[in-house]
Amino acid sequence: MFKKSMKKPLALFAAASLAVIGLTVPASHAASSTIQVYISADTNIQDLWVKTLVPAFKLAYPGYDVNVTFDLHGDHDAQETAKITAAAVLHKDPGVDLIDGGFTTTLGAAGLLYRPTPGLMPNINDLNKTVLAAGKGGIPYRASSVLLAYNSTNVTTPPATLDDLLAWIKAHPGKFTYNAPNGGGSGYSFVQTVIDKYLSDADRKTLVVQAAPELQTKWAQGLETLRQLNKYTYGQNGTYPANNAETLKDLATGLVDMGTVWSDQFSSALKAGTMPANIKVTAIKNPSLTGGASYLGIPNSSVNKVGARLLANWVLSPAAQNLIVSGTLNGFPVIPLNKLDPVATAAFKGVDILNLRAGYLSANANDLKSKWASTVPGK
Amino acid sequence: MNKALKSLNLSRIGLNLFIGLLAVFILGPLVWLGVHAFASDWQYPNLYPSGLTMRWWSKVFLDSAFATAIKNSLVISPIVVLISMFICLPAAYAAGRMNFFGRKVFMITLFSANSFPKIGLFAAIATLYYALNLMGTFVGVVIIQLLGTIIYMTWIPAAAFAAVPKNLEEAARDAGASKFTVFRTITLRLAMPGILVAIVMSFLASFDEAQGTYLVGAPGIFTMPTEMYSLVQNYPIQVAAVFSILLAIPSVLLLGLARKHIMGGQLAEGFQLK
Amino acid sequence: MISLRSKKSKEGSLTTHGGGPSPRSLVGLALSLPPLLIVLIFVGLPILIGLTFSLGFTTGPNRVIAIIGQQIHKKNHWWGTLGAYNDVIHDSRFFGDLRLTIFVTVLSTTLVLLLALAIALYQRLIGGRKAAVLVTLSIVPLFVPVVISAWAIHTFYGGDGFMRTFFTHFGINFPTLTSTPSAIVIGTVWTSLPFAILMISSGLQAIPDALIESAKDCGASVFRVIANILIPLAKTPIIIAASFTSIGILGSFTIPLFLGPNQPTMLGVEISNFFGAYNRPQQSLVMAFIVFAIASGIAVLYVRSNIKSAKESGRL
Repeated sequence: MFKKSMKKPLALFAAASLAVIGLTVPASHAASSTIQVYISADTNIQDLWVKTLVPAFKLAYPGYDVNVTFDLHGDHDAQETAKITAAAVLHKDPGVDLIDGGFTTTLGAAGLLYRPTPGLMPNINDLNKTVLAAGKGGIPYRASSVLLAYNSTNVTTPPATLDDLLAWIKAHPGKFTYNAPNGGGSGYSFVQTVIDKYLSDADRKTLVVQAAPELQTKWAQGLETLRQLNKYTYGQNGTYPANNAETLKDLATGLVDMGTVWSDQFSSALKAGTMPANIKVTAIKNPSLTGGASYLGIPNSSVNKVGARLLANWVLSPAAQNLIVSGTLNGFPVIPLNKLDPVATAAFKGVDILNLRAGYLSANANDLKSKWASTVPGK
Repeated sequence: MNKALKSLNLSRIGLNLFIGLLAVFILGPLVWLGVHAFASDWQYPNLYPSGLTMRWWSKVFLDSAFATAIKNSLVISPIVVLISMFICLPAAYAAGRMNFFGRKVFMITLFSANSFPKIGLFAAIATLYYALNLMGTFVGVVIIQLLGTIIYMTWIPAAAFAAVPKNLEEAARDAGASKFTVFRTITLRLAMPGILVAIVMSFLASFDEAQGTYLVGAPGIFTMPTEMYSLVQNYPIQVAAVFSILLAIPSVLLLGLARKHIMGGQLAEGFQLK
Repeated sequence: MISLRSKKSKEGSLTTHGGGPSPRSLVGLALSLPPLLIVLIFVGLPILIGLTFSLGFTTGPNRVIAIIGQQIHKKNHWWGTLGAYNDVIHDSRFFGDLRLTIFVTVLSTTLVLLLALAIALYQRLIGGRKAAVLVTLSIVPLFVPVVISAWAIHTFYGGDGFMRTFFTHFGINFPTLTSTPSAIVIGTVWTSLPFAILMISSGLQAIPDALIESAKDCGASVFRVIANILIPLAKTPIIIAASFTSIGILGSFTIPLFLGPNQPTMLGVEISNFFGAYNRPQQSLVMAFIVFAIASGIAVLYVRSNIKSAKESGRL
C-alpha cells in the first residue's frame, strides 16, 4: 500500500518500536526494597526529598531504595486521586507507597489511607495529638506558615496587624496582591485570615476540625471586605495571580510591593537567587496568617506498606527533623523543639510552631475557595 | 494614470502594513520571550535586559529528567502516528468514498468523543485501565495518545479521498490498469497532501498530549510536556524562553518540510486537472 | 464542477437492486470499525460511566469518587437525580462562564476564518513571495507547545510586557491586556490560525486555474470570482477549519488559565476548578457534558453540510 520509498523507514520504525516495547515495559513493582514516593508540591519540597531526606534515609537503611515522583503545584492531583481511588476499588497497585501532597487529607477523609499506630510507628508519639487527628490518617511531617512579604526599599515599616495591612492596601492601590485561593495556599491563607477576622475563636476552631456548612453563612462579612479590596489590589480590576509562583514572581519583578508567601518557598527562592535580597518577610497579628502541617499518606492499597511505614517513621525522627529545619527549606518541625539540634532551632525562638493558626478542614476549605470565586473576583 | 498608480501604491503600502502587523502579532511574543533566554535581569520599562547570561541554559540542560522525557516523547509519538495511520486510513477511505450504513453516526461519534473535556473522565479511565491491566504500561500510553490522533487521521484523509475525481480513476481503469495500480498511482497520490497534513497534526496531538499520558504513564513513563510544564511554571520566564528557542529549531525544520510538500508542488499538482 | 461529475451511475449507493445492504456498504462498515471500537471502549465507556455519576449513580465504578467528592447528589428515582444539574444551572458562575466561552469561541473562530481566508485567497489569486511570507508566518504557532505560547503571549501583553514597554517610550499608557477576555481571544486566535490556514489554503489550491480564468474571461470581477467560485468550491476545508477551531477553543484550558480573568472564566478552566480545588466532581461532570453537547451540535452541523455539498457535487 505504501510507496517503495517509504518501505525502508517503515521497517526501521517497526523494528525500533519492538525494541522500545521490550526495553521500556516498566518493571513490575519490585520486591519490597523499593519505596515509591509521590510528591505534589513546589520545587523546594522536591529538593528537600531528593537532595536531603532520601539520601539520608538510604544511609540509615541501606537495604531500601526510594523512587521519587514529583508533580509541580499539584497540577496532576486530579489524575493521582483518580488513580489511587480506582486502584482501591479494584485492589490493584496504585503505583505509590507514600504521598506528600495537599490531597492526602481528602484521601484520609475517604478512608483510603492506612491509619498509623504507635506500635508500628513509634515516633507518632512525639506528634501533637490535635494535628495528628486532623490528618484523618495522614501523618504530619513538617509545617510552614504563610507570611507577609514586602519590598523593604519601598516599605520601611510593614503593617503589624491585619487591620494595618488592610489600611495599607487601600492607601497604596495596585501594590498588593494575593493569589486566587484555588491555585495556591499563600493566597488561600490571606482569604481565610480575613474571613477569620469576623469569627469568634470557637467558630474558627470548629471550622478547622469538622465540616461545618452551617457556619459558612458567617463568611459573608469577610468576603465582602475582600470584594471591596478589588479596586486596590494589583491590576485594580479584581484579577488575581493564579498560584503561589506568580505571586513570588510579581514580588521579585517589582510589580507589587507586598504579597502573601509561604515561609519555606520564600526562603528557598532567596537562596536560589530568584528573589532579590531587598524583599523581606514579617508576620502579622490579629489574626495571624495561617500555617499548618503537611501530611504524608500511605494508601491502603500500597504494595509496600512496610517500607512506607519505615520511611514515614524515620521522617519523624530527630535526625530527619533536624534536616527539615536546617538546609534550604527552613521548615518547621512537628516534634518538640527540645529533641532537636539547638543551633538549628534558635531561629524559631518565640514562634509557637506546634500551635500555628491552622487552615480549615479540607471540606470547609474547598467550600471557601468556591465561595471566594463566586463572590470576589471581577465583582 | 496617476489614480491607478496611487491606488497601486496604497494597496502595496496596505499589504506591507498587513505583513508587518501579522509578523508582530505572530512572532512578537516568541521573539520577546526568546530574548529573555539570555537575560540575567530586566527592569521595566527598558527595551533590553540589564545583563546577559547563559545561566538559564545550563539549568535546562542539566535537568536529567527532561532528557529522559524528550527521549520518551520522540520514541512514543512516531509509533502512535504509525499505528494511527494503520487503523484509521482504511476507515478514512471508507468514510470518504463509500456511503456505508451509519457513516454519519461514525463521523459524528469520532468528532464529539474527542471533544469531551478529559478531566471529567480520569476516574473512569483509571478504573478501565486497571481492569484491563493497562495502567503504567507502554501500550496504555500509546492508546491514550492514539485517541487524540484518531480525529485528525480520519476526518482529514476522508475529505482528501473524497476529493479525488472519480473519472480519473475510471479513465485509468478503462486504459487497463489494475484496481491496485489505480489506487496506488492515482487515489493515494492525489490524497497524499491531505494525509500529510493529518500526519503532522497527529504527531503534534500525540507529542503535546499531557493529561491522559500523566494519568496512565506516571511514574514510569514521562513525556516531554509534563517535564516542560514543570520547568516553565516554576522557574522565572527565562527558562520558558530557553525552551521556546530549543523547540523552535525542530519546529523550523518540520515547517520547511511541511511547506514544501503541502503548500507547494505536490498539493497543487495533485488537485489540478491538466 | 459539472465537468467532474461522472456520467456513469453513482457509486456507493446504499442498496443493490436486490434490496439488502450492498456488499460495498458492508466493506465500508468493516473498514471503519477499528478506530470506532477503540474510541467507543476508551472514551465512550468512560463517558457513559461519567453520565451515570452525574445523574447520581454512586455505586460500582463511581463508589469511591462519591465518597471523596463533596456536594454529591445520590439518585432518588430509577433514572437518577437532576440534583447536580440543578446545582450547576443555579450557580452564579455558570452562565457567566458559558457566555464568555461562547463569546470567545464565536469571536475567535470568526477572526481566524477571516484572517485565514484573506491570506489564503491572496495566495491563490496573486501568489508570489509576499504571499509565501504571510502563509509561513501564519503556520509558525503550529509547532509551539501551548504552554509556551501562553507564557509568551502573557509576557508580551502583560504588565511589564513588550506592548507596554514599547508604548511607554511614546508616552502612551497601553493597557495591560492579561487577565482580560481580550487576551484569551488573542491567545486562541494565535494558536488556531495555523490549522485554519493549512486547511483553507490547501482547499483553494485544489481549484483549477482553468475555472478562475474562464470566469474572468466571462467578465467576472475579483469579488464575484471569490464569492461564487472559490469559496463555494473550498466549502469543505473551510467548514473543517471552522469546526475544529471552534471545538478546540470551546474546551480550551491552558490559554484562558494563563491569560484570562479569574471570573468569569472559560468552561474548560471552571471544570478543572470544580473537579480539583472545590472538590465537586459531580457538578464538574455536568459542565463537561454541557460542553460536550455544544461540541456535538457543531459536529452534527458539519457532517450535515458535508453530506449536502457532497450530494450536490455528485460525489454521493
